[in-house]
Amino acid sequence: MEETKYKTLVDAIWTGNVASGVAEARKLAESGIKPEMIFGECIEPELGLIGDDFSKLKIFLPELISAADVVKGVQEELRSFFISDGTKTSKGKIVLATVSGDLHDVGKNIVKAMLEVNGFEVNDLGVDVGPSTIIQTAKEMDADIIALSALMLPSLPSIKDTIELSRIAENKEHGFKIMIGGGPITKDWADKMEVFYGNDAAEAVTVANDLTNTGS
Amino acid sequence: MRNTGRILDIMERALTGPMMEEATFDKVHVTEGIKRVVADYDIKVDTGKLINQDDDMADRVWQAAIDFIVTCGVFSKDSGRVILHSRPEIETLLKAAPSEVLLGEGHDAVWERARKIEDPSPLVVDGCSIGTPIPEEYFVPAMISYIQEPIVDVTCGGSLETVQGFESRTGSPLEILSTWEEMDLAHLALKRAGRPGMAYTGCMMAMSDIGQISAAQPGGLRPTDLNTFGIISELKANYEIFNKVTHTIRTGGIVDAYANAIYGGLGGGPDGHAVLICAEMIALSVVFQATCVGASPTHPFLFCSTERNMMASASVAFQAIARNSHLMTNLSITAVGGPVTKTLLYETLAYSLMASLSGNSRLLGPRPATGVISGHYTGLEARFMGEVCHASTKLNRESAEVIAQKAFAKCEPDFEKKPYGKPFWEAYDVRTIKPTDEWQKMVDGVRDEAKGWGLSFD
Repeated sequence: MEETKYKTLVDAIWTGNVASGVAEARKLAESGIKPEMIFGECIEPELGLIGDDFSKLKIFLPELISAADVVKGVQEELRSFFISDGTKTSKGKIVLATVSGDLHDVGKNIVKAMLEVNGFEVNDLGVDVGPSTIIQTAKEMDADIIALSALMLPSLPSIKDTIELSRIAENKEHGFKIMIGGGPITKDWADKMEVFYGNDAAEAVTVANDLTNTGS
Repeated sequence: MRNTGRILDIMERALTGPMMEEATFDKVHVTEGIKRVVADYDIKVDTGKLINQDDDMADRVWQAAIDFIVTCGVFSKDSGRVILHSRPEIETLLKAAPSEVLLGEGHDAVWERARKIEDPSPLVVDGCSIGTPIPEEYFVPAMISYIQEPIVDVTCGGSLETVQGFESRTGSPLEILSTWEEMDLAHLALKRAGRPGMAYTGCMMAMSDIGQISAAQPGGLRPTDLNTFGIISELKANYEIFNKVTHTIRTGGIVDAYANAIYGGLGGGPDGHAVLICAEMIALSVVFQATCVGASPTHPFLFCSTERNMMASASVAFQAIARNSHLMTNLSITAVGGPVTKTLLYETLAYSLMASLSGNSRLLGPRPATGVISGHYTGLEARFMGEVCHASTKLNRESAEVIAQKAFAKCEPDFEKKPYGKPFWEAYDVRTIKPTDEWQKMVDGVRDEAKGWGLSFD
């Protein structure tokens, strides 16, 4: 990456300065640099470093969220440039929720921030979300992946219900890929349910990349 | 002093406090609030030490936590408002908090008391798996493996994977049935082991207020048991949680609330984490009228509580509380290692020393294999935990630190390997409820090792 060309944008991402990041992104695009170059040469590598630092806890959730906010701002600002360019604005669309009966959300929020800094568009439905709301939202936004979180053993049946609902005839055609994770969930259980598993936020990104064929 | 007047007061604050979006509370009140006080009070946790040796730092963490909780408050999710207390109110309420409570009944009753740093009295040994999943047919023998250990003072069971073949569902009749099944089996285990009056720590199958309230009546949780429930991370409540508090107080039960600050989450790294843990304990006492306040800080990737930086921040936080209040505090050991692994034992050794020397009143666990692998827990590691806690009362922080570091050096390299060990039915003879020779020899060996490092079990 050319250090001088993107320095202001890099600083904005690392300091979580949305206004500065958005302004600089527009300036770069208006100077003739294609959005795909801005993302490919600057934003994606920096987000990779940020995600890596978070997975080693060299930085923490607030910094991750701030970086994600900058990226979302930049994506929105450059949307018109992308559309005319034909370039996709995100790697894929993900519906994320903690399933019904479960109120834990910090782990889910960590996954959300990691997915966003890694280029995914995430619709976070929050906690205690029922299967029909999850599937309906996924259909409406044409999601690629449904990511489900649970931290309590009695929440596992809610995950099963969501999986089952995704497989009934009228929903199956949408081809949602389902990824699950959280305290009581193990890889063995996910394999039995025939869905994908992420042990932690970093693994969730790897799985999402694989499912959308967008891994580096 | 807990009473219904305070419940009304909290509800008034929940219904009239400043209104805001939850995301704003997270970012502005919690994250920025923590950053501010960490800077203002120059909080710097020495992560090279597992057991804090700096009293001045502990006192600064206390002041930072008070300052923080005054401005941050607790978010009431149902009303979308923040419950705030002034500094004088918080200080008055903390002075009125109880400093001792009787757990259990008859010959099996034990006193839990507020402890000081390097306290010569041992903490209460709450030997349990803290809700690790278990097939229903093993629930009773696994519980007996804890209760039969004389050094275990109070206990609780695992989480029943099924009840008569049905999985529980939160908020449904299945939750109530599962809760009562747990209560029935727990009482059976207590009686069979000959300690019917031993206190029981909460109800693992009671996920919502429905289960908790249903279980807290004759035949279920007794007034001398602990009504254990968590608040929502970080510093959030809802009416369900307040329902549990209200019912417990009205029925004369013991409010045993806990808060699990996520390391690396909204509070950031070790410095913010220490302040957040301390503040959450204060909030549990002030807002939730908890008699006992507890934490089980969680690592976002290892899912344990035994990570180095987390132990350092927990130690400072609880020393801050021990030096500046008479709250009864508790910690939980969530270990990476499982039964029949030395990793579990070294983690238990290090963490028990930290918790005991830092002034905790009670220690729960150990919860092996991060508490998620079916049946991976036994009473033998709880016996070891209790032995270490009792032995630790002869140490000061400096000498305990040396032993803790030696133990930690032997388990830390194994964390990434996730040595989850064996389930109860492979670590014990299920009929006789005795550990296998392999497991017993392993524990004896690590005990001998600890003796060689300077820990006297006599």
